Amino acid sequence: MIPFLINTMASVVIAVSTKMLSHNRMRFVMTVTGIAIAFFLAAAQIGLLVGWINTNSAIINNAGVDIWVMAKETRTLDYGTAIPRHRIQQVSSVKGVAWAEGMLVGWINWQHPEGKHITVEVIGLDNANAGGPWRMAEGNIASIRLPETVIVDELSKQALGTLHVGDEAEMEGRRVIIGGFSQGVRTFTAAPFVFTSIENALDYVPYYHYDEISYVLVRAVPNANILDIRDRIAQEVSDVEVLTTDEFAERSVKYWMLETGVGITVIITAALGLLVGAVIMSQTLFAITQDHIANYATLLALGFHQKTLRQIVLTQSLSLGGLGIIVGLVLFFLACNASARSPIPLETTPMVTMGLVAFSLLCCIASSWFSIRAIFKLDPVSVFHG
Amino acid sequence: MKSILTCQGITKSYGSGDIIENVLKQVDLEFFEGQASVLIGPSGSGKTTLLSILGCLLAPSEGQLLIADQSVNFFDKSSLTEVRRQKLGFIFQHAQLLPFLTIEENLAIVGRNAGMNDADIKQRLDNLLQRLELQAMRYKHPNQLSGGQRQRVAIARALLHRPSIVLADEPTAALDWLTGKTVVELLLEQARLEKAVLVVVTHDTRMLPLFDRILSIADGLLSEQQQTAIADNTFYTQT
Repeated sequence: MIPFLINTMASVVIAVSTKMLSHNRMRFVMTVTGIAIAFFLAAAQIGLLVGWINTNSAIINNAGVDIWVMAKETRTLDYGTAIPRHRIQQVSSVKGVAWAEGMLVGWINWQHPEGKHITVEVIGLDNANAGGPWRMAEGNIASIRLPETVIVDELSKQALGTLHVGDEAEMEGRRVIIGGFSQGVRTFTAAPFVFTSIENALDYVPYYHYDEISYVLVRAVPNANILDIRDRIAQEVSDVEVLTTDEFAERSVKYWMLETGVGITVIITAALGLLVGAVIMSQTLFAITQDHIANYATLLALGFHQKTLRQIVLTQSLSLGGLGIIVGLVLFFLACNASARSPIPLETTPMVTMGLVAFSLLCCIASSWFSIRAIFKLDPVSVFHG
Repeated sequence: MKSILTCQGITKSYGSGDIIENVLKQVDLEFFEGQASVLIGPSGSGKTTLLSILGCLLAPSEGQLLIADQSVNFFDKSSLTEVRRQKLGFIFQHAQLLPFLTIEENLAIVGRNAGMNDADIKQRLDNLLQRLELQAMRYKHPNQLSGGQRQRVAIARALLHRPSIVLADEPTAALDWLTGKTVVELLLEQARLEKAVLVVVTHDTRMLPLFDRILSIADGLLSEQQQTAIADNTFYTQT
């Protein structure tokens, strides 16, 4: 029986390409590791970017409402400015609105037990707690209705110096009591979120009057056309801007990503990560072809078509790249999992993951193009010179 | 005898303008079925250039090459590959077996590339491995073989797809005299058995009595020597 791998010309391509790669096991392992690390590097940078985007729109996306009403020119949730509280009633009376409630956002000082002052972002919540924490690690969200009681995220425990429910601290020189700890409510502004009721928040945030809030959050009636309701609110309620949840999330993300130096830095870092990863992958694959250039010359001299050699190179690139990407993906998912409860999470979406894989495979194909060019330039006469 | 390979006015020049080096000058040659020729000459005389042209690896500047009365089109790379694939067998100085394949696989891929079917490949593989006493090496890799064994595998690889022409470039250069002689004898025996034209380039004049024809090349000019010249050791000077 002839070797099973040599049954057809396609199997010759597979046999030659895989055996060429696996012959030097150490080199093979190093190459796959190199590609895996390159992929992981690129994926980690993109994962940071996705994590960042998710973080800065998390409260909007998790509020469970359809429409946000705010002061004109509000650029991001964090920089909400005052609007009259009676806008809640005005919005509630618009046709198609199921319910509406307020939200207050303000920046004030928190005094750490060790004496240092920390800026925090206070989120004042209305009756349904829309815009509040979506997961609790400890305590109950309803505790914010108690006087002087707040909820902070477990990720901010150390920063705020509050380790247990019932601990006391000071905010703007006044006492606060920890009513519970939320889970996974990250901040990327470095100012921890502090959730409380609107009434409590008004006691602490000095620049808001008792009849002011920052946002009106709207839930539409079931099966309603959200865009129609948005337009109706904009027509019927004066001096406000009305956005759907998606629009507001997008605006917030765009503000932080494109209008601040921090966002641009993250984007550039992600792009560099992709570029460096692509270059490492391409170089690694090109080096493999160069290592075997004499063997390719021999195959050419023996009458193998350029097409067959191209297929061998492409098969090598895709199999090495594929393996490296699989290993890199495993590393990336492990890192995503490990960072899930950290202040700087790596996150991804199915689309982003597929995009990363497709991009990496494209890099492999591009690098094989360089290798194929080297083979095209190869002179089979060179085999006569040993 | 049937003519297999013919060179008509083959010239090969490098350079241009005033700086032209003629490596081969108007070479006319004819090789017949089952004939074994040796090509000798000093370094840089054009031996490898002629062998490369005969092997359809290098285009001549002038003249034409005929294989089985068919002119070779050196401008069509694909047809050159096709000629090499079907009609030519090569043996290189260092065997140049693919190090990552077993001996069996090294041979089988050549058969498959030449379009042979499974049964034919198997029959030829078994036959050649037996004739060249390589059965025990079948599943080994080239690095597990001695230099002489590797050249025997190279002979098997060159013959597997039944080429009408076998070209060997200094196949004994990396071997000691005795091993080299054995390899050349095997090569001659197998090529004659297959009725293939055999052209061997060598520096080793001790091998010359084994061949049917002795071709000497010097300064790009080719001449045929008589076996009597062996005793005088005047191969590089006679014209």
